[in-house]
Amino acid sequence: MRARILEATYVCIAREGLDRTTVEDAAREAGVSRATLYRWFPGGRDELLRETIAWQTDQFFLRLAGEVQGSASLDEVLATALRLAHRWIAEDAVLQRLVATEPGRLVPAIADETRRLVPRIARFVAPWLPPGSEARAEYVARIAVSLIGSPGGWDLDDPAQVEELVATLF
Amino acid sequence: MTVAVDTTPAERVLAATTACLGRWGLAKTTLDDIAREAGVSRATVYRLFPGGKETVVRTAIEAEVDAFRLGLADRLGACTTREDVLVTALTYATRCLRGHELLQYLLAHEPEVVLPHLTFDRFDRVLAVAGQAVAPWLEPRVGEWLTRVVLSYALCPSEWFDLGDVDDARRFVREFVLQEGAR
Repeated sequence: MRARILEATYVCIAREGLDRTTVEDAAREAGVSRATLYRWFPGGRDELLRETIAWQTDQFFLRLAGEVQGSASLDEVLATALRLAHRWIAEDAVLQRLVATEPGRLVPAIADETRRLVPRIARFVAPWLPPGSEARAEYVARIAVSLIGSPGGWDLDDPAQVEELVATLF
Repeated sequence: MTVAVDTTPAERVLAATTACLGRWGLAKTTLDDIAREAGVSRATVYRLFPGGKETVVRTAIEAEVDAFRLGLADRLGACTTREDVLVTALTYATRCLRGHELLQYLLAHEPEVVLPHLTFDRFDRVLAVAGQAVAPWLEPRVGEWLTRVVLSYALCPSEWFDLGDVDDARRFVREFVLQEGAR
C-alpha cells in the first residue's frame, strides 16, 4: 500500500508539479481514500512529497547496487554510478518537470538532498576502499555528488569522458 | 558602514549595494536603500549604473568576485611549492566563502538566488572564473577540482576536514592529491 501511494504521488508530481500536487490528487491516483493516505503518511502533504522523493532515491540506489555488483575497482564503480545517475536524472519525469517549470523549488531541495546523499554514497563506495578509509569514502562521495548536480563541461553520457573524469578528478 | 574619504561615488554605491543586500536580501533591497546607504541621490545611482537595480547588483557582485580573485592571487603568488599553492587556495577560498556576509545571508534566506549558479549549466561560469583565478599556478582541471571541493566542504561541513584550517587542508592535500603527480 505504501509503495502504491508513493508511486501514485510520483505520477502526480510528474503531471502537476511539486507545488500543485495535493493529498487528494495522490489519493485519487492511488485509488485510496484520504483517510487511508493519512494513516500511512500522518504528516500529510509535506511528508508525502518528502517520502516520495526519498523512495525514488532508494529505487535508484537499489538499481545501482545491482549494476555495480562484481565491479573490480572503485574506478569502475564510480564510472557506472556517474553514467547511471546522469541517465536517471535525464529520464526522470519528475526531475525533468521540475527543472523546466519549478527550478526555484528544485535547487534548494538538491542542496538538502546533498547532505543526505554524501553519507549514503560514502557507505556505498566503502567496500571498494581499504578498511578504515571513511574520510576518503566521504571525499569520493562529495566529488560524485558535485559532478552529478553540476557536470560542468563533462558529458556524462560519453564513456570515454567518464573514464577520464574518474581517473583525474577524484 | 565606514566610508573612506577617497572613494569615488561609484565605489560607494557598490559598497552600499553589498551592505544592503547582506542586510535585507536581493528581493527587498531597493534602489532607494542603496542610494541612501551610499549618501547619493537616486538619479546619481541611475547615472552611474544605467539599468538601475539589476545593473548595480550585478556590478557589485562582479566587484566581490574580483576582490576574491585579487586576494587569492596575492596569496598564491607568495607560495613556493605546489603543495602550498593547493593548501592556500583551499583555505583562502573556504574562509572567504564562510566569512562572506552577503553570501551567507543569501544562502540562509534566499537560497534560490545563489544555488542555481552552482548547479546545472550555470556552474560552467563559476568553473571558468575559478579556472582563470588559479591559471598562473594550476591547470584548469585543478581549478575545477578545487572549486568542487571548496563548495562541497564549505556548504556542507565534514566531520573529517575543516578546509578553512591550514593543518586540515594540508592533510587533505597530502591524502587525496599529489600522490600520483597527475594533479
